[in-house]
Amino acid sequence: MPKLNSYNGEERFNFLISLIGYLQNRGTVSIEEVSEHFSLEPAYIRKAITSLNDARAFLNGHEECFFYIDPSEVDEGYISLSENLVIEEAPRLSTRQAAAIAAGLNYLQSLPEFAQDADIPVLQSLLAEGTGRGLSQIHEFKPGSAEAGAELIRKAILEGLQIQCEYFNQRGERSERVIHPLRLDPRPDGAYLRGYCPKNQDVRNFKLDRMRAISVLQEPISESAKSVGEIEDALYVAGLTDTEVVVEVQPEAYRLISEFQAVSEPTADQNGTIRATIKVGHLPNIGRLIAKYGGAARVIAPEEARNLVREYALRALGQTDSIGAPTGQEG
Amino acid sequence: MTSKDKDAWQPTRKDKSERLLQLTCALLFAERGLNKQQLFSAILGYAAANEPGNEDALNRMFERDKAELRDIGVQIETQNPNGDPEDLRYIIASDSFIWPKHIELTPKQLQLLDMAAQAWAQASLQSEANQGLVRLRALGIAPASSELLGFAPRIRTHEPSFYALTNAIEDRTVVSFNYRKPDGAVEERTVEPWALKNIGGQWMLQCFDLERGQSRNFLLKRITSKISLIKLKDEPIYFDQPDSISVQQSDDSLAEFISKNVAELRVKRDSQAWFHFRLDDEINSEEQATVRFQFMDLHLLAEELRDFALDIKVIQPKELDEAIKSGFAKVASDHA
Repeated sequence: MPKLNSYNGEERFNFLISLIGYLQNRGTVSIEEVSEHFSLEPAYIRKAITSLNDARAFLNGHEECFFYIDPSEVDEGYISLSENLVIEEAPRLSTRQAAAIAAGLNYLQSLPEFAQDADIPVLQSLLAEGTGRGLSQIHEFKPGSAEAGAELIRKAILEGLQIQCEYFNQRGERSERVIHPLRLDPRPDGAYLRGYCPKNQDVRNFKLDRMRAISVLQEPISESAKSVGEIEDALYVAGLTDTEVVVEVQPEAYRLISEFQAVSEPTADQNGTIRATIKVGHLPNIGRLIAKYGGAARVIAPEEARNLVREYALRALGQTDSIGAPTGQEG
Repeated sequence: MTSKDKDAWQPTRKDKSERLLQLTCALLFAERGLNKQQLFSAILGYAAANEPGNEDALNRMFERDKAELRDIGVQIETQNPNGDPEDLRYIIASDSFIWPKHIELTPKQLQLLDMAAQAWAQASLQSEANQGLVRLRALGIAPASSELLGFAPRIRTHEPSFYALTNAIEDRTVVSFNYRKPDGAVEERTVEPWALKNIGGQWMLQCFDLERGQSRNFLLKRITSKISLIKLKDEPIYFDQPDSISVQQSDDSLAEFISKNVAELRVKRDSQAWFHFRLDDEINSEEQATVRFQFMDLHLLAEELRDFALDIKVIQPKELDEAIKSGFAKVASDHA
């Protein structure tokens, strides 16, 4: 549910004109239902109603009130739009809104799960119609190869069953794992399974390309797994024992820091180089995290992390074998 | 909810959303439109600022509101029925504001739209997608709840140029930016941006490079500057929508380029790379397996393969092996 103060002026306006269209379509409705329908707090709906009742203008020598919703009914928990001089239907989408959702649909269509879905083309043309001036395709998606195992995992999630697989964690350890699968997050660069791990008694992320020999067990997921609330979109959640590492990244390696902070457009004097602090759950992982960017990312501090990166790079070049296995909170 | 949240939105006459609502309603209501003077006295938000000597500020406020409404899909048009510049009338045609016909969506369709909008959670177009979803919700249908549970596709936009480029593509405005080639050379590019393509997780700008007179593709991650609008006499330069043949040719030449790029690797059995390349289908017990595949960009592939450096050996192309190694060498010297 969006927080009240997360709506800016533009978003509030958008909601207000949408609410009128909705009330016009819907007739008398309880505040509870409106709150659920738009995923907003009832208090927010009440304030929106005040704004609608306040919408007026001095025209033709007198004050014209555009809408009227009886406040005493609102006090009893109901909304009934008894006066509406201007907005007879739900508002069309702006081209930007339609383009964003159309791009989301393009993305869904690029996933094997939706490639054949007959509703997607229907919705695309509806969105184009809804903008009033057509829609140009701005964002297209061509995914990498389909992820094996995704279909099996989805089936397990829908049926509420545990899965078993062989998993390669970030420390380079391979093991047999039982996972109570909760959500599958396909991303353009590969899918993640968000699942309850009975070993850690917590939600963990499992990258699909680190799994093999996946099988669905006949065992239902546990009560602990079921009681997990909404899962954060961010893959990274800071842990108490994490090490803070100061890094400097060029645009080619912004991906390294964008999970930790918003990255704004570069200014002329910085040439795109940004200094940021990232948190690393298992410090020996820093070698691989940094080295993959081939110079576009470097560690400033601590010294221990710098050493780990250097040794990792040298070992990859075959010039030393002084450290242990390449090595998160993952898995 | 805390008491602070309760105070977060105090409806006041200064609240922009309420001013925009009043402006929209007044222009929808007045069938013959309203001129500026009428508007400035009709709308509370303007009337409060309508004082002698304050005309410039008021005009600027009105221009900003108009631009903002246009961006969110409310088209304010002008009419001049009497040919009198003082009586230029502003109007919103009701049929430009609402859906052209009654829209019927099934709950499953709404759920797909929901998921499509949710895909932008934490990415560049999150606000636009959510606002669009709010308007679709206004149609009154509730999404189906079961079918697509436990499935949350997400788009990622790590590149700060993404939003500016999206706007430039939509507005068809010429832009320039600095682009760093893999060899480190930075050049300024001036382009007509056509589309953003996500290929295997990487965002790429398909565009027409005005200096080279050719369509080109640029990886967003190699853009090292702000996206700047090119202006002529303070006005952006607009370009015509690219014709479908040119776009197709550009798509084809990229596909052809990719088909010529073939990598071949040897992968150590049961290593992480073995998992990554899904080599269990190979029914043999060799200690190594060979994989061959096409790729788009050698340096991007080198970045991806550095993750598996200890598990693989590059057979071809030689340049791939060199790119992986020179990257590690640079990392080693950067951290010496």
